[in-house]
Amino acid sequence: MERSARLNKILLLVLFVPLSLLILLPFYAIALASFKPGKELIRYGLNLKLDFSVMSLDNYAFLFSGNNDYFTWFFNSMLLTIVQVALTLFISATVAYGFSAYEFKGKTFLFICVLMIMMVPFEILLLPLYRLIFNLGLMNTYSAIILPGLANASTIFFFRQYLLGIPREMIAAGRVDGASEYGIYLRLILPVMKPAFAAMGILNAMGSWNNLLWPFMVLSNPSKFTLPIGLKTLLTPYGNNYDLLVVGSFFSIIPIFILFVMFQKYFIDGMTAGAVKG
Amino acid sequence: MKKWLMGLTMMSLAAGLIGCGDNSSSTGATTSVMDDGAGETATTLKYWTFVELHGQHFQSMLKKWNEANADRQIKLEVSVMPYDDMHNKLSIALQTGQGAPDISDIEVGKFPDFLNGTPQLESLNDVVEPHKASIVQSRLDLYTKDGTVYGLPTHVGAAVAFYNTEILESAGVDYKSIVTWDDYKKAGIQVYEKTGNYMGTADTSAGWQASMMLAQQGKDFTDDAGTPIVNSPEMIKGLSILKDLQKSNVIATVAGGQPDTEEAYGEFNTGKYASAMMPFWFMSRYVNYMPDLSGKIAIAPIPVIEKGMPTSYGGGGTGTVVTKQAKDVQLAKDFLAFAKLTLDANINIWNTLGFDPVNTEVWAMEDVTHNKDNKFVQYFQNNPFEVLNEIKDGINLIKSTPSSPTINNVINTTTFNEIFENDKDVTEALNEAQSEIEQQLK
Amino acid sequence: MLKNFLYSQKVAPYVFVLPFVLIFLVFWLYPLASSAEMSFQKVMLGQSAQWVGFDNYAKLIDDSMFLKAVMNSVTYTVMTLVILIPFPMLFAVLINAKFMWGRELFKSVFFFPALTSVVVAGTIFRLMFGEMEGSLINSLLGIFGIEPVKFLKGHTTGFVALLSLAAWRWMGVNILYFLAGLKNIPDDYYEAASIDGASTFQKFRFITIPLLKPTTIYVLTISIYAGMAMFVESLMMWNGNNSPQNIGLTIIGYLYRQGIEKNNLGFAATVGLVLLLVTMIINLTQLALSGLFKKEDA
Repeated sequence: MERSARLNKILLLVLFVPLSLLILLPFYAIALASFKPGKELIRYGLNLKLDFSVMSLDNYAFLFSGNNDYFTWFFNSMLLTIVQVALTLFISATVAYGFSAYEFKGKTFLFICVLMIMMVPFEILLLPLYRLIFNLGLMNTYSAIILPGLANASTIFFFRQYLLGIPREMIAAGRVDGASEYGIYLRLILPVMKPAFAAMGILNAMGSWNNLLWPFMVLSNPSKFTLPIGLKTLLTPYGNNYDLLVVGSFFSIIPIFILFVMFQKYFIDGMTAGAVKG
Repeated sequence: MKKWLMGLTMMSLAAGLIGCGDNSSSTGATTSVMDDGAGETATTLKYWTFVELHGQHFQSMLKKWNEANADRQIKLEVSVMPYDDMHNKLSIALQTGQGAPDISDIEVGKFPDFLNGTPQLESLNDVVEPHKASIVQSRLDLYTKDGTVYGLPTHVGAAVAFYNTEILESAGVDYKSIVTWDDYKKAGIQVYEKTGNYMGTADTSAGWQASMMLAQQGKDFTDDAGTPIVNSPEMIKGLSILKDLQKSNVIATVAGGQPDTEEAYGEFNTGKYASAMMPFWFMSRYVNYMPDLSGKIAIAPIPVIEKGMPTSYGGGGTGTVVTKQAKDVQLAKDFLAFAKLTLDANINIWNTLGFDPVNTEVWAMEDVTHNKDNKFVQYFQNNPFEVLNEIKDGINLIKSTPSSPTINNVINTTTFNEIFENDKDVTEALNEAQSEIEQQLK
Repeated sequence: MLKNFLYSQKVAPYVFVLPFVLIFLVFWLYPLASSAEMSFQKVMLGQSAQWVGFDNYAKLIDDSMFLKAVMNSVTYTVMTLVILIPFPMLFAVLINAKFMWGRELFKSVFFFPALTSVVVAGTIFRLMFGEMEGSLINSLLGIFGIEPVKFLKGHTTGFVALLSLAAWRWMGVNILYFLAGLKNIPDDYYEAASIDGASTFQKFRFITIPLLKPTTIYVLTISIYAGMAMFVESLMMWNGNNSPQNIGLTIIGYLYRQGIEKNNLGFAATVGLVLLLVTMIINLTQLALSGLFKKEDA
């Protein structure tokens, strides 16, 4: 028994160690490339050659030199992510509370609407939404990116499930104490939702930080570009931008990695929130 | 109650603030304000381009303009965007009547889309008039509709052959003896046998080679009425010659699909391909992206099917326009003509960009064309303008018509790939392309 | 008076859900309805629309490029299902095994790729699958004496690149889903089975797989949704919406080409509606077949 367990352990490692290395390979390749001049990349392709004669910190020096828009994009992305996540969480939580704490006419119908949104791929709405944003005069504004996602269906769904688990007595006790309906929500309910906020916050932040298509369609002013859009604009044959592209791509992964290592539990809770129905 | 309302108000304010801040004043690679010599009263003009280097040319011309026109000074806000992106956004801005820049570059392949219906661009006839005599007319024709000029050209783009003499010499080939495609084939076979390198590329994602073959036979992708004829006997003949070269290991497909891509620069730089038949501006790609080949590249006329055929055509190009939304139309037009049509401008286009300027007077100015300090002159074995002056009378025009964008899209994504990558029969592939184009234009 | 009204227990829930109602109406229902309207019109941005009846639909049926896009999207979706359901399930079970060493570490490593954006991941994979001899994948193939492959120029090899990207980014996430599902299976089941003399495989086949069904359905649903709507991956892999012979053209890619690149909003809206219809049908059939409705009713 003892022996077969050890054998199993070794067999699993034989499977998982190479698999993990394979998964880490692209990270290693881009990390390596970030130390090489872009010309090297164009000439020989992205490879694993550890050639110290061509490797330097030049790309990093350029990244931090301020002679490029990288950190403009970086801070735009950061600002957009923070505002978008804060607003989305608050509004989604409010809506979810309405669904979980009350019985009211039309509740079932409205909740079916929430579920329906979850089934419609957002991409289908790209064009009508694009025309709408245009007609509202919101082109090239961050509002155009934030507004359509404010009441996020899957976030509402998750919060509702979470709130269903909170004892109703809490609400009743609040009423006895003379708190208003909104006071109960703001002062009693919101504080106990912290873990749910953490999980959904991270999920939404990842979505927002990495989002390309919709922001790319509505933003045209380079000074407003987010990081993914900015990096994408570097992929043009009319300028030698591979230095910045590679080092910028690699650098953009780092903050998220740090966050992940710090808040791993919430990342995983957030990602798997949909799969485990409460 | 109050807290709740306050919260909401704050949020909407925050959202509004972010939304409204439309004042752009960023510096860096993508947007930059050029204010050389411009005083307080200068007018700011917005300029969009997809080529970073074009901005540099405008910068040096801007300085001269501001010195010469103290009362009409200009600041130029340059936005560099990726090719597809810039054209999409310009198209939307022009159609909706808001958000367009004062001045913009439009690539020749996309230009017809901007001439549909009533062009939302300003006529440039009046500013072109004084320069007309010295400028290659066919380059203006590319950007003209019903007698109105809407765009100013940057270069002629005369196609020439670039040979890597190091490879050719090691195979015992003298590029000067190559006149016809038969000569080229013989030389190529020798190069492949002796060195294992290919003589040239078989392009799958661009129409340079097809244009070259059509121009030699005096034909085009469309007939005189502008109707697409991509399965013409001349097109079939031209591509069959290329296909035969590929079968004989003289040419082969290249990473990136054509010479003007980053991947292909790498392949050329390492010496895998010994020649490229490209428009004149490809010189700048050698100088900027293929440093290892410095001193090894010679320029010559392109081989022909039969002796006496025209060897060249004008390839690629950018028309710079003034949009109907320009703040000060006349100022924008005057500056544009100054920056693109004057003799000064044309000399500068050669000096900074390495293009063959549309003002052919420059071609004869020995002190400019043979300037020893010029990096383009230094890079190549022979002087580019000697070849240019030699082929001067054999530069054919490949027209730009309303159906050109569709034609280019079909042949550059599908047809050439089928022929050179999948070994599909040339005639069959071209017939299919013709019907696909007809269907899309319906 | 107004304050009392707003603060009554009857009205409060409506105030709470009001933001959703507004956003649903303005940013979902209205666009959806206007999409339906646009599909019967010729619409260019900035110009007034013209009614054209069923012209857009008729054009779509005849459109070989649209058919190609649909085929590509469907192939991609099916292949992602084939790769991204059985393997993550198996890996999750193995990671969950009692004698697994370094469980948390492997979980994290598998999850890392999900942290990258499509832009960054797509760029890395585009370069990795470059056609040069020195490009990563080709240099690895070279070790085994295989000639360089032009990955992004061929239909099959192009899909290999696209699917590798998908597998890389989503394997870890799906493993997490299945791990979460495994947590809900009581240990007693396995113990009871062991007492009855069931083999490891039998336990996997008769306990794990059936009890993971809700998770599997969830993963299946989101994978279909994501697969049919795939676009940005292809956009990054080919550095634009035009791939050789359109091997990377997807339904959304075609919608983007018609709507944004050609400013033909009416026709593009028709493409979008057809996609909506197709995803709805696939998802509902799939849910019906897997008996989810029955279970919910019970």
